[in-house]
Amino acid sequence: MPEPAWRHDGEEPDYRFTLANERTFLAWIRTALALLAGGVLLHQFATELDPRPVVTVLAVGLGVVAGVLSVMSYTRWRGNEIAIRRGRPLPFSWVLPGLAAVCLLTSAVLVVLLLLT
Amino acid sequence: MMRVHAVAATGDPGLQPERTALSWSRTALALAVNALLSMRAGLVAGEPWLVAVGAVLFASSGVAVAIGTVRRRQLSGDRLVITPPRGALVGVAVATLVASAGGVASVFVGGAS
Repeated sequence: MPEPAWRHDGEEPDYRFTLANERTFLAWIRTALALLAGGVLLHQFATELDPRPVVTVLAVGLGVVAGVLSVMSYTRWRGNEIAIRRGRPLPFSWVLPGLAAVCLLTSAVLVVLLLLT
Repeated sequence: MMRVHAVAATGDPGLQPERTALSWSRTALALAVNALLSMRAGLVAGEPWLVAVGAVLFASSGVAVAIGTVRRRQLSGDRLVITPPRGALVGVAVATLVASAGGVASVFVGGAS
């Protein structure tokens, strides 16, 4: 893998910022893995939940969100790294409110399913 | 030739080097959990490719443990290597993407539902 050009952009930042960005990336990756595990577990173990198609949609939805997050975590790490090097503000992203919305929606659907079952 | 950024250790009271290395180990555990789930789904549904995805994820988990160890060494002592190992971040992102694809596919196979 060639060294990306942006590594020569701007100035080398305070090392703590670089490490914090690396940890943030890993935290997003773990978030994706946790959502994925939740979806797979829901589908494999919550066999009593009805109606079944809703559970399938939830499981697939969580898996898809996990896939999106895994790509996003890298692009966001890269964007942050470039912004830090150039001394610019960090890029805004809809991913945080988006993730909150996904969690809220999933919880709401699960509560309804649990009450109905 | 990759330029690696390294600094003299400052005795960071925020323990950032240690937290960064630990972060890798936690990520390895999360990968291992998904590897187990994928293998279980594959064995229950009788789908060898899902078991293979699980094996790949176990391998990635092992690699993440190794990166954590490397990071722990790089980020301790008198001189701290700040630049993450080449390809490490892309690699773990790709592993997560593979896990997601496997997880979504596992919903549609076998008589699990």
